[in-house]
Amino acid sequence: MTLHTMPVTRRQQVSTSPRDRRRHLVSLLVAALLLLPITPLVAWSFAEQWTFPAIVPQAWGWPEQVWNAGTVAAFATSFVLATFVACAATMLGAMAGLGLRRAPRAVSTAASILLLAAAAAPPFALAMGATVGSLQLGVAGPPAVAMVLVVLALPYTTFVMRAAFAGYDESLEEQGRTLGMTSWMVLRWIRIPLLLPSVATAALLAFIVGWSDYIVTVLLGGGDLITLPLLIAGAASGTGNEQSLAFLGMLAIAPPLMMTTLAFGLARRYLR
Amino acid sequence: MPIGSRSLLLTLAATALLVAACSPTSSNADAGQARPNDWSAATSQAQGQTVSLWMWGGDPQANAYVDDVLAPAVAAEGVTLKRVPVADTQDALNRILSEQQADREQDGAVDLVWVNGENFRTGQQSSAWLCQWTDLLPNLALTDPQDPLLSSDFGVPVDGCEAPWHKAQFTLVYDSADVANPPTSFDELEKWIADNPGRFTYPAPPDFTGSAFVRQALIESSSSTALDLKADEPDKQSVKTLMDRLESWSPNLWRKGATYPKDIAQLDRLFADDQVSFTMTYGPATLDALVKKGTFPTTTRVLPLDSGTLGNASFLAIPANSANVAGAMVVANAALSPEQQAAKADPQTWGQFTVLDTERLSKEQRSLFDKLPVSKIVPSFRTLNKNADAELPAVWVPVLERQWRATVLR
Amino acid sequence: MGPGTGASVASNGAALTHHSRRPRWQALLAPAVLTTTVVLAVASAGLIRGIDNAAPRSATLPLTDRPEFSDALRTSLLLASVSTLIAVVAGFGIAVIIVRWRGGRLVAAAATATIPVSHLVGATAFALLLADGALLSRIAPISSTLLPPLVAGPWWIATIAEYAWKETAFVALVVSSVLARHEAVLHEAAATLGVSPGLRRLRITLPLAAPALLVTGALAFAYVLGSYEVPWLLGPASPEPLAVWAYRLFTDIELSSRSDAFGVAALTTCLALVPLLVAAIGLRRLERLS
Repeated sequence: MTLHTMPVTRRQQVSTSPRDRRRHLVSLLVAALLLLPITPLVAWSFAEQWTFPAIVPQAWGWPEQVWNAGTVAAFATSFVLATFVACAATMLGAMAGLGLRRAPRAVSTAASILLLAAAAAPPFALAMGATVGSLQLGVAGPPAVAMVLVVLALPYTTFVMRAAFAGYDESLEEQGRTLGMTSWMVLRWIRIPLLLPSVATAALLAFIVGWSDYIVTVLLGGGDLITLPLLIAGAASGTGNEQSLAFLGMLAIAPPLMMTTLAFGLARRYLR
Repeated sequence: MPIGSRSLLLTLAATALLVAACSPTSSNADAGQARPNDWSAATSQAQGQTVSLWMWGGDPQANAYVDDVLAPAVAAEGVTLKRVPVADTQDALNRILSEQQADREQDGAVDLVWVNGENFRTGQQSSAWLCQWTDLLPNLALTDPQDPLLSSDFGVPVDGCEAPWHKAQFTLVYDSADVANPPTSFDELEKWIADNPGRFTYPAPPDFTGSAFVRQALIESSSSTALDLKADEPDKQSVKTLMDRLESWSPNLWRKGATYPKDIAQLDRLFADDQVSFTMTYGPATLDALVKKGTFPTTTRVLPLDSGTLGNASFLAIPANSANVAGAMVVANAALSPEQQAAKADPQTWGQFTVLDTERLSKEQRSLFDKLPVSKIVPSFRTLNKNADAELPAVWVPVLERQWRATVLR
Repeated sequence: MGPGTGASVASNGAALTHHSRRPRWQALLAPAVLTTTVVLAVASAGLIRGIDNAAPRSATLPLTDRPEFSDALRTSLLLASVSTLIAVVAGFGIAVIIVRWRGGRLVAAAATATIPVSHLVGATAFALLLADGALLSRIAPISSTLLPPLVAGPWWIATIAEYAWKETAFVALVVSSVLARHEAVLHEAAATLGVSPGLRRLRITLPLAAPALLVTGALAFAYVLGSYEVPWLLGPASPEPLAVWAYRLFTDIELSSRSDAFGVAALTTCLALVPLLVAAIGLRRLERLS
């Protein structure tokens, strides 16, 4: 495979064969099924009253209970925390993914097990233990929360990046160099475009770990970190909060979705 | 920059961050702040303190009351009130216990907790709560010292370890559109369930409300002499009778008793969606707001039982390792003031029953309560409280819960 | 090094020119391994301290002898295996759609929209959709008579559906990001050689996706074992999976139950380590093959 035959235009082949039309239909169906469970959230966000047996809400309205400064503050806190976790975990994960491939077999397996182990423990057990431990060490709440969340995200980022590096064809870089590309050009035109989808996926997964965690934030944070999941968990434990819950849920979906769209848009631009 | 040295630099930076984070945190209050000896010391120490109140965040009215009514009131006294929403009071307790296990005796993150009898007892088991401080509160004088609901919480003596906040009454709630002749006693309820299969259920213990229902059923199922409230365990025969009775209900319950709602939120959802005709609550204050919002039908009514139901009070407790003890005391005192208690009792705000003894209030203070709007759905506390039963000892709760799960649930 | 590695010598020759700038694996692995070790060590130490300090355990049965244990184990394994199986199979199929089909970008967008939905919100959404008196029973009242109870029912349908839904999107996204660049070219090369589509899928796509499938499957399995919010919201009161049992013990008003909770948590962790171990060992083997 050479640089010239990189498959950028595969999907742009126009064809309206019955097979393609059928495939298009199936794609639509699959996408609809994936989005189906989110639809009640959208509707409920603006439903002030929606009881059985009404198919459409009996009363519409803006979710006033959660439309306040507290929600905005929680949103901002969540965003900062999640962004930090995404950056740190993706960076560490990318390095670790590459390192796992290059390390000798025994080391690689052992390190893999260690890095995956954080995914094995039930989060609340980890949170309890880490709270006691961090309190003894005198570590403040928010840094401890960030660190634990990074470790919780590492299994995902490491292995996404490891898989990416596994599929990465280094001969492409060699070809680029023989064609006269400088290191920077190799980075910009070969390495980044090929790795960007995986980096974006890893970053998204890490962001979500930081964005949607409840138990670590509440126990380790010591009340200093009031994030969106705390508001959501509080609302979920009460009665009649469906509208607030749905709206907070929608709010929780928005930033990661926007970031992913941005990342994939950037990726497309790179690939031109 | 070559990648190798870049990653080395990264490791160094990370280690530096680690070391920095591990340096002891500067305590946000004087280490070893002595507990104030009298009220004036408390108010002066409290100036500028920030009190973290950890409370259940599932009731929007409660949140609004604390944020918009209580917080400004204590701000006027120089204390900043920060509300930390938790999905369960147990999360706050777990934080306190973690701090205890880590030997953090001074600057705990939790300053004030809204507790019920169960959490209070758990905390007492590990000496989590600060004690002998409620006498300092001037507003405590407005409560009746002989009030059994305030001197003992689920059978555990209060001992000045928590300040009263509001009173609560366990109530059954029904939809009058479904229930033509509401039952007036537990036996009549049993008969209604048999006549209307699938329209009644209760939350599975250890849910707080479900547990209260089982306790209520215990009181109803045993003769008045059989239950010795001083014993460590409920009478075995009474428990057996109770479990047999509840098991006999199973075929007529929702889903034929194969499963029960996990918590009160799930039962309320079933009631709101007209899948069952009854629900229950330990805090009937929420009913007005739920009906107004349209979550519950307008035909929702409270079911008063002739023989009365369980009643208790909920409290504010200060953890022993709080860093802002004085500030927390100021908040507890403000919460106990007639102005705050009256504001809280307004169904439009929160609707919680007051702990104050009206006899001890001045005429103007009493008028605050007289002016309160009357709720269409929730009768006055006096009506609800008629023939009220005292709560059963807290030690009985786990026994009953375990028995229920072993016999009725499986 | 023999004659068969002549090609690699040639490419390594070019690589050797900047060999000194290739980062050593030790430096690459160190930050992640260090951070993980620190956190896990601190957490374990804290847990052990927590077990020691918890109120003395009353004379109760050891955990594995209690009747709830076998129920919990069976339920947890059932939930984890069924949802992971669905996720891996469906996720692979969706990844192929994303990478190769015309409607792929739409499906990719849909899958991406699913990821940010936390399990708590997702479970709430499923409850709003499938519970008694919820949307499904309102739109199609016949479904409540035809179908078994979906939420809190004996078949755990809603719980498995929620886990499968989220994990499918996760698997699809990761696998598609791995397949994206290279699979198409190899696929087309094989097509020009006359290899049938099914065989192409088997011998090209599947091996390329296998490492990702293995790891995401293992992560999904471990996650389901350790998560309690979804079965709490969507499952019946009994039997309880391990994580729900542990959480209930953990939040029990009896302090002595906390050490039991940690015990169950420890058991769950050991159980969850098994698929992760399989994945870790399998990964290395698979990478040698490709």
